[in-house]
This record gives sequence, structure tokens and C-alpha cells, in this order.
Amino acid sequence: MNDPRKNTERPGLSRRAFLKGTGVSAAATALAGAPAAVAVADDKAAEAKAGAPAAFGPAPAAVSLTVNGAKMSYSVEPRVTLLDLLRNHLDVTGCKRVCDRGTCGACTVLLDGKPVYSCTTLALEASGREVKTAEALVADGRLDAVPAAFVQYDAQQCGFCTPGFVVSMRAALDKNPKATPAEIEDALAGNICRCGTYEQMRLAIAALCGQKKGE
Amino acid sequence: MAISWPKKPNRLIGGKHQRLDGPEKATGRAKYSFDINRPGMLHARILRCPHGHARLKSLDTSAAEKIPGFKALHVLAKPGKEFFYAGDEIAAVACDTEEHAQDAVRALKAEFEVLPHQVDEEDALKNDLKTTSANGAQPNVRPGGEAKVGDPDAAFQNPNAVVHEGIYGAATICHQCLESHGLVAEWDADGGLTVWCSTQAVPGTAGGLAQHFQIPAGKVKCITHYMGGGFGSKFGPDVQGIVAAELARKAKAPVKLMLDRAEELTVAGTRPSAYGKVKIAGTKDGKITAYEVACYGSPGVGNGATVNLNLLPYVYTDTIPNVRRKHQVIRLNTGGARAMRAPGHPQNCLLTDQPLDDLAAKLNLDPMQVRLKNLPANMPEAVKNAPQSFNALRNTIYTDEIKIAAQLSDWEKTWHPPGKGPSKGPNKHGIGMALHTWGGAAGKQNEINVTVSSDGSVLVTCSTQDLGTGERTVLAIIVAEILGLEVKDITVKIGESPYGPSSGSGGSTTCPGTSPPTLQAALAARDALLETLAPRLKAKKEDLTIEPGSVVDKGNTKKYAWKEACAKLGMDAARGTGKWNVQNQNEDELVKGGLSNNGVGGVQIAEVWVDTETGVVRCTRAIAVQDCGLIINKQGCESQVAGGVIMGVNYALFEERVMDRATGRMLNPDMEFYKLGGIADLPRVVVHMHDMPERGVIGIGEPPTISTAAAVGNAVFNAIGVRVPYAPFTPERVLEALAKGGK
Repeated sequence: MNDPRKNTERPGLSRRAFLKGTGVSAAATALAGAPAAVAVADDKAAEAKAGAPAAFGPAPAAVSLTVNGAKMSYSVEPRVTLLDLLRNHLDVTGCKRVCDRGTCGACTVLLDGKPVYSCTTLALEASGREVKTAEALVADGRLDAVPAAFVQYDAQQCGFCTPGFVVSMRAALDKNPKATPAEIEDALAGNICRCGTYEQMRLAIAALCGQKKGE
Repeated sequence: MAISWPKKPNRLIGGKHQRLDGPEKATGRAKYSFDINRPGMLHARILRCPHGHARLKSLDTSAAEKIPGFKALHVLAKPGKEFFYAGDEIAAVACDTEEHAQDAVRALKAEFEVLPHQVDEEDALKNDLKTTSANGAQPNVRPGGEAKVGDPDAAFQNPNAVVHEGIYGAATICHQCLESHGLVAEWDADGGLTVWCSTQAVPGTAGGLAQHFQIPAGKVKCITHYMGGGFGSKFGPDVQGIVAAELARKAKAPVKLMLDRAEELTVAGTRPSAYGKVKIAGTKDGKITAYEVACYGSPGVGNGATVNLNLLPYVYTDTIPNVRRKHQVIRLNTGGARAMRAPGHPQNCLLTDQPLDDLAAKLNLDPMQVRLKNLPANMPEAVKNAPQSFNALRNTIYTDEIKIAAQLSDWEKTWHPPGKGPSKGPNKHGIGMALHTWGGAAGKQNEINVTVSSDGSVLVTCSTQDLGTGERTVLAIIVAEILGLEVKDITVKIGESPYGPSSGSGGSTTCPGTSPPTLQAALAARDALLETLAPRLKAKKEDLTIEPGSVVDKGNTKKYAWKEACAKLGMDAARGTGKWNVQNQNEDELVKGGLSNNGVGGVQIAEVWVDTETGVVRCTRAIAVQDCGLIINKQGCESQVAGGVIMGVNYALFEERVMDRATGRMLNPDMEFYKLGGIADLPRVVVHMHDMPERGVIGIGEPPTISTAAAVGNAVFNAIGVRVPYAPFTPERVLEALAKGGK
């Protein structure tokens, strides 16, 4: 997911864009004590227009984005992550804060349809973009196939990692609706469950991949 | 009250049921304590001692109080206070945003007199620096008990005895709850306190806060609707509970204080290490005659032993006639131990089941046969007085379970002498087993209320908490069974302290402690319903019964749909209360009554492939055979068991807290270097529930994680023919063991 080896292989994603996606946010976090030094290159429009990255901070800057179909905007300091914007300010709490440094996947959201760790994505990077969290995977009381499979096979216990797994799996199936169980498992390499629900998750995966109940 | 579980076949109890809160959790709509946002809520952070051992010289808070958004300060330590580990709390701040709270904590200026620390067990054994008590008054290494049974020396010297000696153990690990410890605290205008707390003890947490603030118990409300893992580490308000409530009172605003990941691993509890030298002797036919263990481990700055010494040799305590055991508790300048899923038992199992396999190898025997030969007998006294007790059945249970596990694993064909199994290139196959036991008795005090309303809806309330165990669903299944409804028809409200007493979820006590009173409450509500309905339906009360979805009047041969019948309640409601108050877990009434029980046995088998070039161990399959008496929800039970096994494989292969000798700090308080396996790293798990409904309900949370690590350790030994002494069985340790060739 945020694995740099995979990111660099993706067509259309430059090393520069990758650094923007992860390195800059890490630097911003590290420098949080001296926020004046932090500048963040934002959306393509700003870069194209000025020919140079736009500077934000240390004062709060406005972020407007679409979250689960609803337009939202809020002013946050540039050091605030997308995860914290969603959870602390927009009350969208399906994405969970666990490791807070891009390891466990509990914070996974879809950013313009692609799964990202929202804990290592700055809020400002999401400006003008579309964010989807696990909350989007239910409509009119009907569960999307992925969370429905998690429920059916009991692929969750405490449930704190579950929305992250569900979003990762949804993204993998969106990318390739004919994905094999092995490919889905590969897509879940960036998610960690503490209660140990992997066996039930495998049953859910088998069902989602159109296989008979695994064993 | 003489009540009993409905006799088989049950419509719902024992079947597979989806957890009621599954959809909320899987779509991120379930609100955990960490997710609570209150109007005007502040964020708090704690300043912690950065040294393994230090004395506070001064604390200057002036700069912190000038940080934008600063609202309140709570000082926990005065100058002169001695800190015994890196992570100990000094002071806390509350600010308008989390970022400002971080800035304010950074602006707190604390000066320390740095003192010598000790963070390694071996270091303390070689040279005790006395760094864990005020002014070094007590040693770090302290006696943890010793005992002797029979004459172990004579047994070891017996010329017919085959003797094996080895070292075994496991590193300290952390609970690593994904929802960290913490809460939101909010005071109301009348001096009442509400907390949304991630806890395993809802009333206990409310009570602890009431006590601290000296306010009436009824004025504190603890809410825990969803809870992101505890594993034994989340009882009571904890330091952060006190701090958040103090800050909220000072700032006159709600305060959220959740530990960050580094804090969670540093201060929120560990499973203590245990290392031991074991000597074990047996006869040529596999009868174990003597066992001796000298072990030590560290609870950090916490108290208590790190093994369960009285239960060594584990499972075989009553059958090995000659035993010597000795334990040393090594206090270190590290975060303190807390109960972690079957405290002491996984360590006990590693110190027993692994030497047993090594002895079996020396005897050229199949370790499964050695186990069968040494199983504890069913105790005649128990068979007579309490035939459903574990002591009356333990030999039968283990023997049956081993047979089932042998079939599921095809042990006859799959097991091979150590180091003599199939290979794929440098990868060698291994299979191993281990046994465990656990109490799992009912929690002491629980109250359940069931209300049937005139719209036909049914509400169940209890203050108990669902840690991810499926407790919410358990209550619904029982009530639905009695009232002839479906599980989804029942509204379950739990996790709020005003719902009455409930015991903390520790020791696998929740399901056995809440199921019987739920049955009581459901039966009482049913009786109240039928009594109220009888005159209104012009029926005799004794003619009214409940069938699935309906109330039946046998006297007039009439049948009313459930809602139609309930409508006759009008302004009334039918209520039932179940109260469970058990002071002595082993009292006869409990066992004889068959509602609840304690004592389980389990058998696990693990298969591994060990890469002898890289040292990487892959556990590919695990088999768990487990009894837990009467099963309420088979799906929930199987999930618990499989999850326990996965946690056990993590313990065996990946998890280890690493301390830095130089600074006294934890080196891996995170999730990239504190390893947990992902889906690709962990085995397929086969769960077999050994159903014994006649025994009553017994807890299941803890037992299935006990024997996994020992089974994996034995599988690694079976693969490579040499023992890897200490878990986690990392590539480094595997290669070292191979290089030493078992010497």
C-alpha cells in the first residue's frame, strides 16, 4: 500500500510525488517543534500555477475535501495529518489511530479511490480530493460485500483494526474484481490485527473471491 | 433458585450466530472511547521520565502555560520524587488541540538527577544494582518462592532414570492493545463525572474514580460501548483516568487522554519474562519420575511472580512424584507487568512441555505417547462429589482431546523423530504439541435485567463489557432462546456502570458469570409476561407457554403471535432480573447446579517449516482442541480460540520487548520493531470445540493462547533436532541453536 517498492512501480507516480506523499509528512512531524520551517507542496494546480511549491503554516490553513460524499472544510495547522483532521475535527472516526506511523493500517482510507495510510498523509495533501472511510461501505442499511463478509465469517473481534482491513480489501477488489485470495492477502500486508482474526478473514476472502468456504 | 439450562436440542444456544455489533464495527460506525468527541473537548498529554532511574530536581511549567491553547496543568511528581522506569508520569497538560498539547508537554522543563538503572535480568543476576526501591533499600533480585515434593535428588540419581537438562524461556512481551489505554472525562454542573473509558471493568472504573475524587459512587458514570482490546491490561481508572478527570475539573471542559503508541508499549503492561533451567527424568517406557526447575523472570517495576510456581510442572503437577521448584523475581527499571491473557500459564507451559519433548527424544519415544502416559488421573474424590468438575474429568478430557488432535493432524503419519522429517531444500518440517489448563470460573457478581415491552421489543441490560469476545451476542442468544425470539430481535445494552453490578473481564470469567443470571432474568421476564397476560388472554397462567415467535394457550388451544400477545401488556412491561453472587468459585451448588463451572483442558498442535539457512520459522498450521463446557455461541467460541492461537504464534515467533541497557528506555515501543505477524505470516488454524454442555458455562478467553508457543517450540525442535531455548524463536536464535548443535 504505502510500500515504497510498490509505489515506485506504479505508472504515473513519480519519485517526487512519492516523497510528497510520505517523506514530507514524516519531516513535518519531526519538525513539529519548529513549525515555521515546514512548507508543504500541495495540489497540482498550485504547483502548475506558481511553478513552485506553495508555502503554508505555521498558522492554520483551510482544507476543503469531500469525505464520504459530503463536502467538508476546516482550518488546521499544516502539521496535522489527514487522520487527525478526520478524527479530531470532522468526527469521522472509522479510521483508527493505532501506530500513527504507517505500520499497522488501522487508519487506511481511500484517497481518490486509492488506499493510503491517513496517519502519514498530511491533511493539506487531501485538499480538493475525495476521501472515503469504512463508514462509506454501508448505504440504506445495506452493507457492502466486504464488511458483510467480515460480519458473516466473524473476521473481527475487538474490531479496532477492522475498518482498516475492510478499506484495504475493498480497494484491492476495486482494483481487480477478479483478484485471487492470494492477491487479496498480499493487499492486506500493510494491516495488523491483534485479536488474531486471520483465519476468519481467510474465510471471508474465500467467499469474496467466489470460492466455496475455504479450509 | 433452582433453574437449569434448557435441555438439548436448543434452538439457539450452542449454534453459530453472527455477532450483533458486527455491522457497526466493520463499517467504522462503532464509537470506541478513542472516537468520542465532546463539545469543547480538550486534549491532554503526559510528560514522562526519560531515564530508567532518576530523581526529579525541578519542574518548570511556566513556558508550557504560555503555549497557545493551554488550558490546564496537573502535576503528578514533586521535586525529590524518585522515578523507577523511563515512562513514569511527571505532569500532564490539557490544551485545545492535540498539537498544542504536544507543544506544551515539550515546553515543560524537568531536570533530573540521573541514577543507575538496570533493565536486563542477566545483568541483575550477575551484579544486583538495587535500582528498583527507594534509596536502594531492597535488592532487584528477590525470592519468588520454592518448594520440594518427594525426593528429586534420589529420583535423578536412580540408575534406571534417563535425565535431560536444558534451558527454556520467553522474553517480556507487551499487550499491544490496538485501542490504547485512555478515556474522555467530563464533569457536569452538579459535580457528576462521566468517563468514556477503554476498560475491562466498567463498574470498577467508575468506583475507582468515585473513590479518588471522594464523590458518591452514583455520581460517576463509566461508559464502554466498544473496546479495542485489553488482554488483561485495562482494569480501573489507571493514572490516565485520574489525570484526565483532574484536568477536566480544572479546565471546566471535557478532556480526552489516550496514550500514544510509544506510551502504550512503555507503560501499559507486559507479560513478564520467564527463563529457567529445567532437569527432567523418566523411565525407559516414558514415565516421568522427577522434574526440577530454577527459574527467574522480570515484572519490571511491577510486583508478583512471573510464572505460576505452584502449577509447575504444568498440567502434570499431580503425576510427577518428585519435584523441586524455585523462582526468583527480578525487579527491573522497566514498565510494570500486568495480567496478560492467562498470566503465568504460557510461561509455565514453555517450562514444562518443551523439556518433556526433549526427554521423549532422549527416550526415543513419541512425545504424544509420553503425554498420554503421564496425564493426571481423574480424582476419585471429585468423581464422587462433583462429577462435572475438571478434577473429576481431567484425564478423560485430555485423553479425548489428544485423540481428536491426533486425528486432525494425522499425527501418526506426520510426526517423525526430531530432525528426521521431510525437507524442501533447506526447509525442514516439524510438528509439535502441548497441553494447557485454565480455570474460567464465573465472575463473582453480575446483574442482568430483561424487559419485554408492549411493542414486543426486548431489552437486556448489564454493565458488563464486550472486549471483542462477543459478550453482547451471548446475552442476546440466551434471552432469545427463552423468549422464543431470534437473536437479532433482542436489544442489548451493556457497558454503562448504572446498569448495576458486574465483575471485571479478567480470568475468562465474563461469559460464565453473566450467562446464568441472564438465564434467570429471561425466565423471570417470561414468567412475568405470562402472568400478566393470563387474565388478559382469558387463560390460565399454567396453560400459557412460549413457542418460537408465539405465546400458546394450551387450555383454549389458541396461539398468539409474539407481538400480538405483548400488545396486551398495554402500559405495563414484563421484567425479570437475574442476580449472580458467587463468593466461592468451587462451592458445590455451582458445580452441581450445572449453570456454570470452571476448569478446562486444551491440546494444541503446531506445524512449522524451518529454513536452516536463514533461520526463519514459518508456522503453517495450528490445531486447537478445546473444551469450555456449555457453548453459547459456537462461532464466537471458535473465533476466541483461533485468536488465542494466533496470539500464541506471535508470542512464539515475533514478539519481544527490547530494552536499551545504555539509556534504560524501550527500543521498540512501536509496531515496526515490536513485531506482530500479518495475515501472510500466520498459520491456518483448525479449531475443534470439545462440547461438554452438561458441565455448564466456562470461560474461553484465556486458555487457547497458553500452549501455542510451547507447541511451536516443540515443532521447531522436531524440525531441526536441536532446541531453541528462548522464545521468540527468531532467525538469530534458530541459527545460533543450529550452530551450537544443541550444546
